[in-house]
Amino acid sequence: MSATMARAGFARAGSAQAGTLAWFARHELRLAWRDWVQLMSGGRRLKDHAVLIGMAAFTFGLHWLAYALLSAFFAQGARLEPGTLALITAGVLLTFTMMLSQAMESVTRAFYSRDDLDLILSSPASSRDLFLVRIAMMALTTAMMSGLMVAPFINVAAALGGAQWLGAYLVVLAVSLLATGGAVLIALSLFRTLGAKRTRLVAQIAAAVVGASFLIGLQVVAIISYGSMSRFDVLNSALIADSAPGTASVLWLPAHAVTGNLAALAALLMLSAAFFVFAAHTGAVQFRRIVIAALGVCEVPRRHSEARRGFRAQSTHGALMQKELKLIARDPWLISQTLMQVLYLIPPALMLWVNFGEDAQLPAIIAPVIVMAVGQLAGGLAWLTISGEDAPDLIATAPVSAFARLSAKVKAVLVIIAGIVTPIVLAMALMSVWGAFVTLCGALIAAACAILIQLWFRAQAKRSNFRRRQVASKASTFCEAFASILCAGTTALVAALNPIAILPGVLAIVVMGVAWAISPKRA
Amino acid sequence: MHSPASEAIPALQIRNLQKAFSAPAVDNLSLTIRAGEFYALLGPNGAGKTTTLRMVAGLLEADAGGVSICGIDAFKDPIAAKRVLAWVPDEPMIYDKLTPLEYLEFVSGLWSMDAGLAHFKADELLERFGLAQHAGERCQGFSKGMRQKVALAGALIHEPRLIILDEPLTGLDAGSARQVKGVLRGLVAKGVTVIMTTHILEVAERMADRIGIIAKGQLIAEGTLEELRARAGDSGTGLEDIFLDIVNGSAEAVALTDATRRSQGAAA
Repeated sequence: MSATMARAGFARAGSAQAGTLAWFARHELRLAWRDWVQLMSGGRRLKDHAVLIGMAAFTFGLHWLAYALLSAFFAQGARLEPGTLALITAGVLLTFTMMLSQAMESVTRAFYSRDDLDLILSSPASSRDLFLVRIAMMALTTAMMSGLMVAPFINVAAALGGAQWLGAYLVVLAVSLLATGGAVLIALSLFRTLGAKRTRLVAQIAAAVVGASFLIGLQVVAIISYGSMSRFDVLNSALIADSAPGTASVLWLPAHAVTGNLAALAALLMLSAAFFVFAAHTGAVQFRRIVIAALGVCEVPRRHSEARRGFRAQSTHGALMQKELKLIARDPWLISQTLMQVLYLIPPALMLWVNFGEDAQLPAIIAPVIVMAVGQLAGGLAWLTISGEDAPDLIATAPVSAFARLSAKVKAVLVIIAGIVTPIVLAMALMSVWGAFVTLCGALIAAACAILIQLWFRAQAKRSNFRRRQVASKASTFCEAFASILCAGTTALVAALNPIAILPGVLAIVVMGVAWAISPKRA
Repeated sequence: MHSPASEAIPALQIRNLQKAFSAPAVDNLSLTIRAGEFYALLGPNGAGKTTTLRMVAGLLEADAGGVSICGIDAFKDPIAAKRVLAWVPDEPMIYDKLTPLEYLEFVSGLWSMDAGLAHFKADELLERFGLAQHAGERCQGFSKGMRQKVALAGALIHEPRLIILDEPLTGLDAGSARQVKGVLRGLVAKGVTVIMTTHILEVAERMADRIGIIAKGQLIAEGTLEELRARAGDSGTGLEDIFLDIVNGSAEAVALTDATRRSQGAAA
């Protein structure tokens, strides 16, 4: 930044009185905007044509998908029957759980990460005002993130059904206010009941569980009630049609608000705003005390019980593997982040349990879910071990070849994957040896694809940047996701002995070829 | 500790080393450091000290040139070279979730040390650095000084013959700095070669056998303190004055050369 620009910046900052709510808001907005640009562009200049074209293509693709899903509904007159309202309500609830998870994560991070808190807490400015602004920014960021995801559906609905559907954007904001307010109150109550030391672990795991709970919950109900893995079986079931309240019920308030019903929209906005103001004010008042207690916890080193045991005789390989496993096991935040993928294995495991010995086609149904979850889990773990190295200089100066270094890290990932997949595959083998074998092969191939992509796109980063790993390379993220999906599809078709399996199989190879071709050149 | 024959082999020999990013960072640099020597590498910010040492440690690939560590070609046989080398970066990189003892166990594993010997050495190092009572605590929450000492213990556990330290005293309190300096002196007394970059000229003045000054990727002066004083033409001056004289003189010379080249280019 030139000196002239810097001076201009100071002049602008001077327009709001320092230390006021508006001044803090300006500061937080600027940080949030830069964060947002970084997230969207992956660190490249927004003026970059490739970035703009990529973003436009992605947006178009999402709108096309939304059109494919919604056009039939609007072609049939968009009748708001209980089934439709249930579906919309489920969508709102799903968004709420996702937002609540994200907000809980943000609130916990705000409590425990040091960042600029030393500066703020040691300044004479009102920390209450800053935290108030910070909580509001959390709500706004959460709304924007979710808004981006649902925007294609809202836009398509507005184009096909009328401008009143644009009111759904306000529902996103209202739900975000409710979720953020809820997250603040949950964090405060956890702090009060569990104390500063345990809250971080519990809140992080709770955030991961909450994020997946609604989808998994629907699936579990579908499995137990209908023996189906499809969540839609619950929403389209006779139970909903028979027992759902009438369309005027207050239960459908969020759904009516989504459809642009002004009274419902106003009620939802007022309710959520009031709840948010209460929660944010309560949080802001207590924030300083909590943050100081939380930072105190960070300062207290933990004593390890095995301090006096002897050193284990181990090879270089063993030392690297042990280190990786130990670091993952000791980091509750990483566990909670990787837990998300493992949670999605619960429904197929339940499906196995419920239908044990009854359904020969079962492996074809649950294999893709397992393969997909394993692919994603392997991607996350591989990033942690390969790119997320906190002492890269130490490892690089050790007398170990680069191949040995990487293979030890890859083995650490495979050990964890094996620990998770083995019990499920063994249970499957009791029903169908073929199904178990195919699932195991599919899972291993998906894991191998994810690990290879992480190897090709590896870039040194701190482990604490785990959540932002997707930002560093969107190409690797998409390749990883496509490879997992295609491996899952191939596995399902092979398990069902369907020759079409060759098609997704070949596509998976193409995706891996593309990933290799576009990966940064290695020295 | 080491035989006379091994002492005849330089601990570090850098030959015509080159590295350029957008501009040359290390420019045809040659340097020889004898075994058992305490060598201080000085230079202004951005002079190329860290880049040079990172290439020596195998953390950065050189564009051209060669590096031998204790007679081993570091570019041809990096694994063998790394066995006798330790690198301590300016920012201590340790694992927050490991205890100092576990960190040392991990490092000893990387260098394939005997477990019993490694444990004995680890206890000794932790004691020497005043970390014994923190041996079982996870490193998260450790001060920078404590982290630096853990990193240094990790560098010493495998008994390297050449230890390279990049700004090892930055951020240390007086007590810790004295402790580290004492350890480094002890290492040199045992025949270990120590190369250190530092901006604290007093440390270089007091501890180094020889001093090298780098500017713009080139070694512009080298010698004992007395030799550098003689070069500066004043026997009474301290290293700070000598350093500034040499660096400023070199900058003026480089500016003059650049201006001459530009004017010659324009005339042509």
